[in-house]
Amino acid sequence: MSDVRNNRREAGGSSVITANRLLDGRIVWQVAEGDWSPMIKDARIIPNAEIEAAIAQAAARQQADGLVGVYGVQIESDEATPTPVTVRERIRAFGPTVHPDFTPAAELEAHA
Amino acid sequence: MPLLEDGQLVPDTWTTLDADSPLPATGPVIVPLSRLEEGLARAPGEKLGVALAPDTEIDTLRTALPRLSLVAVTFPIFRDGRAFSQARALREHLHFTGEIRATGKPLPDQYEFLLRCGVSTVALPAGSDPEIWARAHTRFRIAYQPSVRGERAEGFTMRRVL
Amino acid sequence: MPDTIPAPALPVGHYGYDQVDRAFLADRVEQFRDQVARRIAGTLSEDEFKPLRLMNGLYLQLHAYMLRIAVPYGVLDSRQMRELAHIARTYDRDYGHFTTRQNLQFNWIRLEDTPDILARLAAVDMHAIQTSGNCIRNVTCDQFAGAAQDELVDPRVHAEILRQWSTLHPEFTFLPRKFKIAISGSPNDRVAARFHDIGLVAKPAPDGGTQFDVFVGGGMGRTPIVGVHLRDDLPEEDLLAYLEAMVRVYNEYGRRDNIYKARIKILVQALGTEGYRQKVDAEFASMNRARYRLPPETVAAIRARFGTPDLNAPDDAAARLDRARRADPAFDRWVRTNTHPHRAPGYISAVISLKPAGGIPGDATSAQMDTVADLADRYAFGEIRVTHMQNLVLGHVRQDELHALWQALRAADLASANIGLIGDIIACPGLDYCALANARSIPIAQKLGARFASPELQETIGPIEIKISGCINACGHHHAGHIGILGVDKKGEEFFQLTLGGSPGSDASVGQILGPALPEDATVDAIARLVDAYLVHRTGGERFLDTYRRLGAALFKDAVYATA
Repeated sequence: MSDVRNNRREAGGSSVITANRLLDGRIVWQVAEGDWSPMIKDARIIPNAEIEAAIAQAAARQQADGLVGVYGVQIESDEATPTPVTVRERIRAFGPTVHPDFTPAAELEAHA
Repeated sequence: MPLLEDGQLVPDTWTTLDADSPLPATGPVIVPLSRLEEGLARAPGEKLGVALAPDTEIDTLRTALPRLSLVAVTFPIFRDGRAFSQARALREHLHFTGEIRATGKPLPDQYEFLLRCGVSTVALPAGSDPEIWARAHTRFRIAYQPSVRGERAEGFTMRRVL
Repeated sequence: MPDTIPAPALPVGHYGYDQVDRAFLADRVEQFRDQVARRIAGTLSEDEFKPLRLMNGLYLQLHAYMLRIAVPYGVLDSRQMRELAHIARTYDRDYGHFTTRQNLQFNWIRLEDTPDILARLAAVDMHAIQTSGNCIRNVTCDQFAGAAQDELVDPRVHAEILRQWSTLHPEFTFLPRKFKIAISGSPNDRVAARFHDIGLVAKPAPDGGTQFDVFVGGGMGRTPIVGVHLRDDLPEEDLLAYLEAMVRVYNEYGRRDNIYKARIKILVQALGTEGYRQKVDAEFASMNRARYRLPPETVAAIRARFGTPDLNAPDDAAARLDRARRADPAFDRWVRTNTHPHRAPGYISAVISLKPAGGIPGDATSAQMDTVADLADRYAFGEIRVTHMQNLVLGHVRQDELHALWQALRAADLASANIGLIGDIIACPGLDYCALANARSIPIAQKLGARFASPELQETIGPIEIKISGCINACGHHHAGHIGILGVDKKGEEFFQLTLGGSPGSDASVGQILGPALPEDATVDAIARLVDAYLVHRTGGERFLDTYRRLGAALFKDAVYATA
């Protein structure tokens, strides 16, 4: 993913790391090295000063972890749950706005 | 570098020269287009090939072509499909019957396309699995358009029997 | 393995595969299965795999993989539609999305399932070949082909010839950029021929055969351009040779250094029409013309594999339709807006709107797909067309059966009477699904649909085309909208830029930007004010587009921005 929007990040603040799973394409968020969750609330929050190194580390093992397109997402500083600052990443995190049934939370519930 | 012809690995008898390396007096060599005159100045009968850049107009080879045994076309990246048109123009416009060699970074999944545009050999990129290339050659039994290979048409359909 | 469904002898409206075509598709499926296996094993990197999966219509979108399935020249049979419904239920989330290239997209596909899905499609003679990638894409066609009263030549046989010719074309599968061809056989352009890389209009030749008007270098995207007329006398037998020459010049000289300048429109602009024409003519002159000749026997052989409808309406069909219209005003309205005149007496073409008020333009549930398949069998020879406006068409409906068809459509929530009206909005998937988008398109369409839900209001406003794209790639054709809406990203937030005066038809024009982009919550109100201004200033039976062309942008600019 060479999309410049994926690198839009302020010097300060924090980010989370995201990717898509290779086998089904679904969005995941990094919980710990080698551990990923479909829910952004599980994501580990990384200060922007350290994010590039963390992305590089995750990207280096993406084939082994069954992932594609690893990148970092800046989050709001004042929200309890990690919340991306851009509309695009909020839609990735919380699902398409036109299908309330298809949000990651609703899916988790449906499969519970 | 392994060389593929008709899905088989074959020995490569050619030496490829860059812009600076000395030109041997004898033996088959592939020179860049910029050294074409130099290559042609060797003794008659010494086999000469020329390597083209993707933006070379094929017509520039028109006069020299009868004295060339090989033309190399190249894929700087596999998505750059200009070499397909160059190969086809060599066969179709200039009626070149010598070897057309694909170099650079083509993918095995492009092999049948290469052949149908008139390429005869492929200098396999480093790390290639010749088995995957061979499989690509036998994958399809028909195609839906004519090619410079002049495959037999199946009746009045668009299909050609590969 | 898919259930074995007996294939109809020859499907009405599209080419019927034979065993050789089926073997080819099976080989293609196995090729992709092999490529997927190599990707999962890591032998193919994502960079190498991406163009291969794209060539099979598989994108990695925002939330999941998206599979785009080809509907060649927009024609499906009922058996194929039922298979699409099955795939929606089994592998996706129970719906599909019909696109402006007359294709169908599934938004929640798993890479692992894709080879099996393609195998199921192959079992009903369908595929996803070249629905993406820098190759010749699905050839689009007039949705009323073979039925329209104003048609001169049924273009679908030639569309099929182009489909076959471009399928795994050895030379043109790695072009500088994607390549889109549209073909029509009517003087009234319903395919946006002038907004395509190549637009073809078939017409009768003086000798009784077929010849083609050729347009080149049209397109939308970042640089919207109306295509230029290259020639008007291309003989059928030279169709393929000439297209080979046209695309080859593009392959050789099209820019590869900048993705935004790589389409053929930029090359045609750079060379000038005459410069491009000279290069094509030179190529054409030095080709082996015999090799690329399209003989009439081949055209006949392809035509012979098309099923033809046995059109045989009772004498009083038209009279019975008239009676039904008089008795039922809601039906009468739907007939006014959602039908198109047929060439055969007693027949009519019916448009099934996929634009319910407040709905997602172009979406259909699996149940709706099944319903449409059943209705196509019952009323329309099993033939279904997809329109570039993201609706469906039953091409050949008996006029005396139209009322029954409408009642069945209404029961399935498929009878919105809004074709060509303000509710008939084109919208790309936008940021809700698309990895490239800058803003959401669907919610704007939904809000506009709800705002103008009243069928009476829509008919009062009259013909108007609103087209919404979520980014500059213009998949929602905003440049060709009477009102175009383009989503832009400002520091991560959605804004919308309005363009006015675009048209895709024979009077093709590119919409002009009205003013600064508006925030999301102001956009629908702004459109409503535009429409009000039009209603105040229109004269006689003027369309919105005519009023705009007559009066210019100033009054509409005031309407949108004066209140701010």
